[in-house]
Amino acid sequence: MARTRYRFNPESLSFDRVTLGFGAIIMRSLAYIVGSAMIAVVYWVIFAAFFDSPKEKALKRELSQLTVQYEILSREMGDMEEVLHHLQRTDDNLYRAIFNAEPLPVSYREGGVGGLNRYKDLEGFNNSELVIETAKRLDKIRKRIYTQSKSFDELIALTKEKEAMVRCIPAIMPISNRDLTRTASGYGPRIHPYYKIIKFHTGMDFTAPSGTEVYATGDGVVSEIITSNRGYGNYIVVDHGFGYTSLYAHLDRFNARKGQKVQRGEVIGFVGNTGMSLAPHLHYEVKLNGRTVDPVNYYFNDLTPEEYERMIELASKTGQSFD
Amino acid sequence: MAFKSGKYFFDDVDLQYKRVRLPFSRRLLRFAVWFAASVIMFFIYRYAFTKTFGSPEEARLMSSIETVMLELNMIDREMDDMIERLNEFRLSDDHRYRPVLEMDTLPSNFRQPATGGIERYGELTGFINSGTLLELVNKRDHIATQLNLQNESFRAISDKTTEWRRQMEYLPIISPVNVSFRLGDGIKFREKHPVHGNPQWHHGQDFRTPVGTPVYATGAGTVIEAGWNSGGFGNYVVIDHGYGFRTTYGHLSAVKTVKGALVKRGDRIGLSGNTGISSGPHLHYQIDLFGKIQNPLHYFNDDLTEEEYIEMIRILSAGAQYRQ
Repeated sequence: MARTRYRFNPESLSFDRVTLGFGAIIMRSLAYIVGSAMIAVVYWVIFAAFFDSPKEKALKRELSQLTVQYEILSREMGDMEEVLHHLQRTDDNLYRAIFNAEPLPVSYREGGVGGLNRYKDLEGFNNSELVIETAKRLDKIRKRIYTQSKSFDELIALTKEKEAMVRCIPAIMPISNRDLTRTASGYGPRIHPYYKIIKFHTGMDFTAPSGTEVYATGDGVVSEIITSNRGYGNYIVVDHGFGYTSLYAHLDRFNARKGQKVQRGEVIGFVGNTGMSLAPHLHYEVKLNGRTVDPVNYYFNDLTPEEYERMIELASKTGQSFD
Repeated sequence: MAFKSGKYFFDDVDLQYKRVRLPFSRRLLRFAVWFAASVIMFFIYRYAFTKTFGSPEEARLMSSIETVMLELNMIDREMDDMIERLNEFRLSDDHRYRPVLEMDTLPSNFRQPATGGIERYGELTGFINSGTLLELVNKRDHIATQLNLQNESFRAISDKTTEWRRQMEYLPIISPVNVSFRLGDGIKFREKHPVHGNPQWHHGQDFRTPVGTPVYATGAGTVIEAGWNSGGFGNYVVIDHGYGFRTTYGHLSAVKTVKGALVKRGDRIGLSGNTGISSGPHLHYQIDLFGKIQNPLHYFNDDLTEEEYIEMIRILSAGAQYRQ
């Protein structure tokens, strides 16, 4: 019904036909578009208040589920953290009770530096942070170099000798101890578990259940197999030549005969609790020209510098030997 | 009539300009049509906008989800940290405490993370981040289980440690007199008893001690005999150490304890002498385990010096009080 429209013109007092120019058409359509867009926005607001798109619905559901789970989890994390703390205390107490020593802090990966603020005098300068950081790093490096140089000295001494000597020197740990947690007591003065007096501990103790394999730590000949109820209990002595002998005590049983040639890593016996022993453990001793030496200095074959450092720390810290 | 502004149309019938007047129903219809058109336009606009820019609501939701996921990610890292710490405990447990206490290590399948569990968390499936979320709750469950397990395990170890330490105090594991004294007869079959002259088993270990040498309890326990023994031990003391162990100290010149007394290792219980059936001053020391004679030499070492023995007795007798 495209009827012609008119508009009354009060000036000429006549009816003018309503015609639209091109500009007016543009203006009109522009106005239309803007207007409709505005209306669309209004609609959108109203629409969004009452309805969600399926995707929004899904996202909302996900968000609320995530939030709920987050709240649950963070609450539980708090609880679990508490239990962990409790476990840490128990662990420390057990360590004190069984090893008669203060437990090492867990952060051994840091190289054992820290605790006290040794860098206080470096604080308060413009670049304090950098200086302290560098000083700390230097300390760590120094410590590492020190421990490393110890093993280097041995290595240099070794390379000067024949290859045979390298094979013969007792240079591994006598039991599998990858994470070093079997290290119980080191060489040096320790509180005796029964006598409660300080006695010189001539070897190293490793905690391990009865029946754990014991390895020859270097090539050599089994020079002694002793079965006894006293002292070292059942023990094996391996003569490595070059003045070195190693002794494995409190064994449950043997896996070698006297005079037998053994190679590094060969199973020569099994951990036990024979003789004067507090608990199943291996007492391992190294002698050089008849005098006991600290076995820790000879583990360079299977330890990284970090592990070596950790080992020294562990071995030096325990307060009580096991025999 | 006055003409107002507005729209007019020319009526062909009565040849007049007439104002355009619409009845209410027509207006309503017009409005309805207009409304329908605008709604359609709205959807078109919305579609076009969402296509090009994405929905603002969705974007808002997505960014909220991202924030929560970030928090959850932090929790995940904390959880990994917890698992590592738990692992330290496990190593201590397996390698340090249980071997020393002669306890079996926990079977490793106890320590395995529980697999599956997706059925239990059905409400968490079907989301964009379902994978992460499920992983997280499973990890949480794993940690919770491990925490419980470790707690139980440590409790068992703790109890055992208390028992172990008590046992350490009770077992007869030192020499009853200073190690500087020479040993006499040990456990052996004697062809000729030094006093009776007949063949007889000797059930203990003799120490050649002069009369008046202090004799010490070799482990904590209860004195069950203290006084005269008509069987030949003369003045004697018997201590019950529990765990099946009893020690007898014979031929004493003086008894320094009383029946029923609680003693600890290193307590002086008497002085050695030459009472009872004895051919000379000495201490007779005897250990039995559930009534079976033990060789006392297997229960102490000769790795102490005279001074160390004195120091040991000093420390032991100054040590903690007797514990029941």
